[in-house]
Amino acid sequence: MAIDAKADPEPHCREDDDNAPAAAAADDEDTGAQVAPIVKLEEVAVTTGEEDEDPILDLKAKLYRFDKEGNQWKERGVGNVKLLKHKVNGKVRLVMRQSKTLKICANHFVIPTMTVQEHSGNDKSCVWHAADFADGNLKEEMFCIRFASVENCKTFMETVQEVAESQGKKEENKDATVTADLLDKLSVGESKSDGKEDTVVASDTKEAVKDEAKTEEDKKDEAASKA
Amino acid sequence: MILILIFFFALFVVQALPNQQTVDYPSFKLVIVGDGGTGKTTFVKRHLTGEFEKKYEPTIGVEVHPLDFFTNCGKIRFYCWDTAGQEKFGGLRDGYYIHGQCAIIMFDVTARLTYKNVPTWHRDLCRVCENIPIVLCGNKVDVKNRQVKAKQVTFHRKKNLQYYEISAKSNYNFEKPFLYLARKLAGDPNLHFVESPALAPPEVHIDLAAQQQHEAELAAAASQPLPDDDDDAFE
Repeated sequence: MAIDAKADPEPHCREDDDNAPAAAAADDEDTGAQVAPIVKLEEVAVTTGEEDEDPILDLKAKLYRFDKEGNQWKERGVGNVKLLKHKVNGKVRLVMRQSKTLKICANHFVIPTMTVQEHSGNDKSCVWHAADFADGNLKEEMFCIRFASVENCKTFMETVQEVAESQGKKEENKDATVTADLLDKLSVGESKSDGKEDTVVASDTKEAVKDEAKTEEDKKDEAASKA
Repeated sequence: MILILIFFFALFVVQALPNQQTVDYPSFKLVIVGDGGTGKTTFVKRHLTGEFEKKYEPTIGVEVHPLDFFTNCGKIRFYCWDTAGQEKFGGLRDGYYIHGQCAIIMFDVTARLTYKNVPTWHRDLCRVCENIPIVLCGNKVDVKNRQVKAKQVTFHRKKNLQYYEISAKSNYNFEKPFLYLARKLAGDPNLHFVESPALAPPEVHIDLAAQQQHEAELAAAASQPLPDDDDDAFE
């Protein structure tokens, strides 16, 4: 299941720097005038926000977002797309950073309803929809991602699909846990009450289970309509 | 005459204000100048959204964009004053340079005249802003038929500017001008960009109707070609 960057055949992935002109070597030479600094900055601790997650996929790619107004794809950034699995709650999100500025160009959970489709004109690309949080505001986006190879694209699509399915199962399990908890309460209720009331308590609890499931669903609908 | 000046000054203050809200981290006014069509706006847009705009729409007057970077010394912001290169749209011209703390002078390596005009941009800039760090950028180095070769670029040595060959199209060196200016402004040659924190996104649930709509939209989008399908960055 775990796929890391090493699996990515690097020789295929050429940097954007390919058009590097001959003078590139001189780039680091500082020919600028001596100017007095205008601020004093102290070194700070760097947090990536990814400290509690493990990467389950890490591939070099180019990301695009769909501009509905102009009916066209627009570039978002070049960098590594990662699927990060939370060490505690098991949730998986997709995070991608621009390779040179390290700014975030995509940041959203892989949720059970997420499906990745092929891009019809390019077999190294695929598309999906997400409520994205790249700039700290939730925004509905359609993304397209292009990989160095057909294989990488396939790997990405398959991994996302697997994750989405497993996240779906996890939610079912969560619902099952809620039901189990209620059933636990039911048995406690049974032991405390005497024979006659048992049936009443039991049917009440069954109702409660149903209600619980219903409110869960309502919550989901609410959240979706808000989103 | 004075009234007209005040009027223009008020105009440019109003134009600049919406993006000039103060932030609780260091910010710098960056002035970007150079001939029309050299790629100043495209370069700024590339940094703002990631997109590469092929269409040329001359900038009128000035457009101010805040641009944040995360460094090992914390978050910093450049207020990019993207000025009009075309004379007829110049607006206040060097009126925009006031209180500039750093600058980029851009020319187009595929158009010799834009390099010839660099001294004029530099002179006008230095009249208003003394002793600020300045980066000279030769843009469009991805183009095969250059008119200004790297060896022919010498102005920066005469005037003590930093020079970078860049391509807003291929992203070649596109972060270097900002990195250089940040290092100079902070007096720290070791300053570098670091990962910006990827905050946990809020929980989202999609209902069936919304999901179906998304899938329909996706199918339509998936049939639109990618803008740079022809480039070989990944092949």
